[in-house]
Amino acid sequence: MTTKSDTKNLTARMKELDKKMEWFGSDDFSLDEVAGKYKEAATLAKEIEHDLNELQNELELIHEDFTKE
Amino acid sequence: MIDDYLAPRLEDNTLNTISVTQLVREINDMLSVDFSQVSVVGEVSSFKINQGKWVFFDLKDENTKVGCFMPVFKLHTPLEDGMQAQISGRPNLTKWGSFSLTVENIIPVGSGSIKRAFELLKAKLEKEGLFDPAKKRPLPEDISTIGVISSTQAAGYADFIKIVNERWGGLKLVVAHTGVQGAGAAEQIIRALNYMNEHNSADVIAIIRGGGSADDLAVFNDEALVRAIASSKIPVITGIGHEIDTSLADLAADIVASTPSNAAQMLTRDRREYIEHIKRNMEIVYQNCIANQVRDIIHNINDELAVCMDNVLDRIETQIESTKSLIKYIETFNPDNVLKKGYAMLRGTIDIGSEIEITTKDKIINAEIKALKERK
Repeated sequence: MTTKSDTKNLTARMKELDKKMEWFGSDDFSLDEVAGKYKEAATLAKEIEHDLNELQNELELIHEDFTKE
Repeated sequence: MIDDYLAPRLEDNTLNTISVTQLVREINDMLSVDFSQVSVVGEVSSFKINQGKWVFFDLKDENTKVGCFMPVFKLHTPLEDGMQAQISGRPNLTKWGSFSLTVENIIPVGSGSIKRAFELLKAKLEKEGLFDPAKKRPLPEDISTIGVISSTQAAGYADFIKIVNERWGGLKLVVAHTGVQGAGAAEQIIRALNYMNEHNSADVIAIIRGGGSADDLAVFNDEALVRAIASSKIPVITGIGHEIDTSLADLAADIVASTPSNAAQMLTRDRREYIEHIKRNMEIVYQNCIANQVRDIIHNINDELAVCMDNVLDRIETQIESTKSLIKYIETFNPDNVLKKGYAMLRGTIDIGSEIEITTKDKIINAEIKALKERK
């Protein structure tokens, strides 16, 4: 069962990956750090891919009877 | 029962006599049992609204007409004489002795009437600013909960859920099951909208309904529903009917999808596309940042090596030249060169009577010193 925290976690990690990718084109780019940064981004990308393939949607039917006035 | 009062038994002195009020009440009791709710189609005539509160009109066909009455708050669609309409309501006999229908719900039917009602209401609501593009809100950036208002038995709902599930995961879908056509459906959708807004149930609300006839989709031109959509605190997306259908609900919604499937696509990213996007970006980063950097480094190293090599070669050449000069200089001290010029070299003790060795260019001579004198 997917929880809201799973979704938030996934969204947060997607944003984190975006930030990591931005680093490669930023002024902070440093050759000394590039291998480590690339490895971090690749690992995170793999985790996100895994989660995206695994995560299911949760369907909740509201019990309220809207046919009644 | 009533038959006892109405049956013509003139010869029967035992027939009960009742008051007019009692008669009307008994007839109404009978009607409430046998015709508790009727649905009737006919042409609207003599339409009028009294005191802004009460709606009166006749519903007629070629041969007959019946008076209709309803409170104005239950009228959710514009009406005018000549329109075909379907009403649901209760028949009753009024205290003035006239027969009428108390209308619970009325919807225009037939393409001409539906179109006319649509245009009248559209003009009215447009004037009020309900469709103002400046009031439209974009879809929230991070959607984690989608409120879905639809009939869970409808094909459009199934399409919507299927596509959402295929495209993205980790979402919560809060579903309100309502009617999506016919009498009462608009009120049910309004109640679901209000419920979701009161409970802050979702980041966005999707109103979903598959294709259908103009009559089927008429519910989405209901005035109260259109107003509820326009005033929803939570952004509303509509995915109603087919691409060619535009309802007033669509015009009031923040975002309009052409179909339920299109609504699902607009609300979710495609996980496969996203994964491809990540992979492509990683490849670009690798190519642009890492491989290029390595190439640049190798290029720089090659340049530096070339400069070093040039320096080394220059120095070697200089050394060679120096060595050559030195060799030349040293050569000047070679005794053979002096002998070649005609000089001779003596070895031995320089005393009278001593034997000495004289070396010339091409001879070695042994000689004895016969005389000696100082050179001035």
